[in-house]
Amino acid sequence: MVISAIIVITFLFLNAIMMGYAERKIAGHVQRRPGPMEVGSHGILQMIIDGIKLVAKELIIPFNVDRTLFRVAPLLSFTPVILPFLVIPFSEKLQARDLNMGLIFIVTMGSVNVMACLVAGWGSNNKYSMFGAMRAVAQAISYEVPILLSILAVILMCNTFSLKGIVGAQQKIWFVFLQPVAFLIYVVAGLAETNRAPFDLPEAESELTAGFHTEYSGMGFSLFFLGEYTNMFIVASVATVLFLGGWHGPHLPYGEYLGVVWFLLKVYFLLFLMIMVRWTYPRVRFDQLLNFSWKYLVPFSLANLLITAVVVKL
Amino acid sequence: MLESEYQEQNRFFLNMGPQHPSTHGVLLIVLEMNGEYVLDPQPVLGFIHRMHEKMGESRPCPGFMPNTGRMDYVCALPYNHGYVSLIERKAGIEVPERAEYIRVITSELNRIASHLLWLGAYLLDLGAFTPILYGFDDREHILDILESVTGSRLTYSYYRFGGVCQDIDEKFVERTRAFIKRLRKRYGIYEKLVTKNIIFIKRTENIGIVSPDMALRYGMTGPNLRGSGISYDIRKNEPYSVYPEFDFEVPVGRQGDCLDRYMVRVREIEQCLRIIEQALDRLPEGPIRSKVPKNIKLSPGDCNFAVEAARGELSYYLIGDGTSTPYRLKVRVPSYSNLSCLPELGRGILLPDLVSILGSFDLVIPEIDR
Amino acid sequence: MDNIIKNFKGFLIDQGFDAVETDYEQRGYHLEVVLTVTQVREFAKKAYELGFYLVFVAGFQVLADPETPSPHSGLAVVYQYARHDRQYRIKACALVPDSLEIPSISDIYQGADWHERETRDFYGIVFSGHHNLKPLLMADMDVDVHPLLKEEAKLKSLDAVSWPSEAPESTE
Repeated sequence: MVISAIIVITFLFLNAIMMGYAERKIAGHVQRRPGPMEVGSHGILQMIIDGIKLVAKELIIPFNVDRTLFRVAPLLSFTPVILPFLVIPFSEKLQARDLNMGLIFIVTMGSVNVMACLVAGWGSNNKYSMFGAMRAVAQAISYEVPILLSILAVILMCNTFSLKGIVGAQQKIWFVFLQPVAFLIYVVAGLAETNRAPFDLPEAESELTAGFHTEYSGMGFSLFFLGEYTNMFIVASVATVLFLGGWHGPHLPYGEYLGVVWFLLKVYFLLFLMIMVRWTYPRVRFDQLLNFSWKYLVPFSLANLLITAVVVKL
Repeated sequence: MLESEYQEQNRFFLNMGPQHPSTHGVLLIVLEMNGEYVLDPQPVLGFIHRMHEKMGESRPCPGFMPNTGRMDYVCALPYNHGYVSLIERKAGIEVPERAEYIRVITSELNRIASHLLWLGAYLLDLGAFTPILYGFDDREHILDILESVTGSRLTYSYYRFGGVCQDIDEKFVERTRAFIKRLRKRYGIYEKLVTKNIIFIKRTENIGIVSPDMALRYGMTGPNLRGSGISYDIRKNEPYSVYPEFDFEVPVGRQGDCLDRYMVRVREIEQCLRIIEQALDRLPEGPIRSKVPKNIKLSPGDCNFAVEAARGELSYYLIGDGTSTPYRLKVRVPSYSNLSCLPELGRGILLPDLVSILGSFDLVIPEIDR
Repeated sequence: MDNIIKNFKGFLIDQGFDAVETDYEQRGYHLEVVLTVTQVREFAKKAYELGFYLVFVAGFQVLADPETPSPHSGLAVVYQYARHDRQYRIKACALVPDSLEIPSISDIYQGADWHERETRDFYGIVFSGHHNLKPLLMADMDVDVHPLLKEEAKLKSLDAVSWPSEAPESTE
């Protein structure tokens, strides 16, 4: 148990470093420039040096903030996103704990992220941060509903909340072929839950000068960042587990352990798509964002759920 | 009444600027807000006020040339052009044809550079991080071409009374022609990434509609006016230099929303390329500067000269008193009038829409503040 | 309305304004109008009705001349109007009386709002009827500093900075 926790946390940090590097390189190539090249060959050591720099920075605490809330917010943003790693099945035998309510556990942990935004925005004693926090709350609440509805459609088909069971039920055919609508809605709503562009209004740079994490510097800021990347990873891994068949793939020796290779490939493919989308599209306006969720995603996912229910019952 | 009391409680003031990622320069806009709605935006100017008009009165007229490059640094050559043409009109100086053609070519190149920068910055305000780098990539080519002949990348001071200060050579002509070919091939990239992007269209369509009457009352000019459907371009309406010899169109929009202003500027880039091509084809040989007395005396009386800068109508007004120092020099900058309509236009809109409108106006604050 | 524009000078003279046609190549505008203080708003209204837009409102300072029939402070305001549909630029000039007050045209042309605030900042001319005459380009605490006012030694008379008046028979 302890060993798996340590492995998970190490993997988390490595993942954040890799994703940060991947994001900057992909962003660079999309923008016709090479990205980080100086530090290490092709900039491989860039993230490590950035991490050291962020840790070494002075923790500025502005004068009139609510000290407890200000300090708690980054921790609140980062800690709950570690826990879902304990239930994600990386391969058949590589899973820390197989809770039979695994999926609900993950969704719950994802919702705590919203509280972190709110606490950060309120505690910063800054109108811009408050704006960002309120937008984050409204956005998160609106996009939780399509996520839940699309997940329910999958649950209806395999009758279990345990993640291992869901992957097991995809032996014959991956759910993405049976439930394409649910897959699309889940990915889009997941992007919005993690505050990634084009839904990154809570951090909208050009409108609100960095939104709810305006006042943070150094380690606090990097914790928010780590939390965001980890959240993205969790969204992508849940999508892989639910729709893309988890660790299933062409046969490998030691398949029960090396299934993790297929799993990670699928997850990183989804992450690559998410990063590409960020650098291609501008930001939506806030009321358009909420409209999109309530007027389009929710009805479609509801309809999908009803059709699934009818088909399963027959 | 309960509802109005409730409304009162939600009002607060938000300071947008003077340091803000999307006010292009040091501009403070005090927003009285009600939730996400802006009730009353009031721009506060003067943060970069350097009193250019006093400088115009305190030195002989050649000494003001560098100032013209610093008022609007993004598109400085039309400012140069206006000032030298003003003094030439006042003192009756003739300009050789080759110099006029060089002036037109370099001004139009600068206009393209300004529009490319605007395009990138506008999309950056809206949250797209990529188009600015594509725009800057193209703009670097223009800056290199202009640097080879003027010596500066941004704040040009290249025109002189009676012509230009340095001649262009074959290499310049070749590089410009290569650049024209290259930019024409890049239109497709901008089309696909920006113009056809559904999120971009949703952020700019039907937002910030400026009616023709409103444009008239505020004195708006340039692409902001042409977006509202009025075809007014100083190069066509009050032609100066050798513009009457070129065949180009003046794009206009339909209803005056942000998308129209965007489309007008994008189509203007193509028209600028046409002018440059025609000018390069017809470039005559000859001197590039006529003989001008060392001490230009400005005869008593006033004089006005209007040019089309990238942002609208730029008007220089001079009162001479017989010496070589202007008695009064007034610079009428286009962004000043364009921005002054913000309190009326921005009443009751959402904050992201305000950002979109400000971006579509193409403001450069140092020229507003002078 | 086209006919009015074609003979705008005649139209203005009928209305009581002092309008003179000028050589565009020499001066950059087509018509020069000298306004009295009371005619400023009337002229602005006529211009708005006929579709002119306001280019700028600026001030300038000359030597104050108490001898003239209408004593003025030496300050003057220049208005420039132009049209969208044809080439026609008008310069209208009004001398500011001793009281330094001149009516504001910011309710007719809202663009004049900022131009008048700037002129007040630079010269101290008060535009009566303006709804918000606070400093625009100068700082709030410098409300009494007027940078473009010249020193005594540098002021010239109005004649010294105007075009020499032509004899009526000369060709325009």
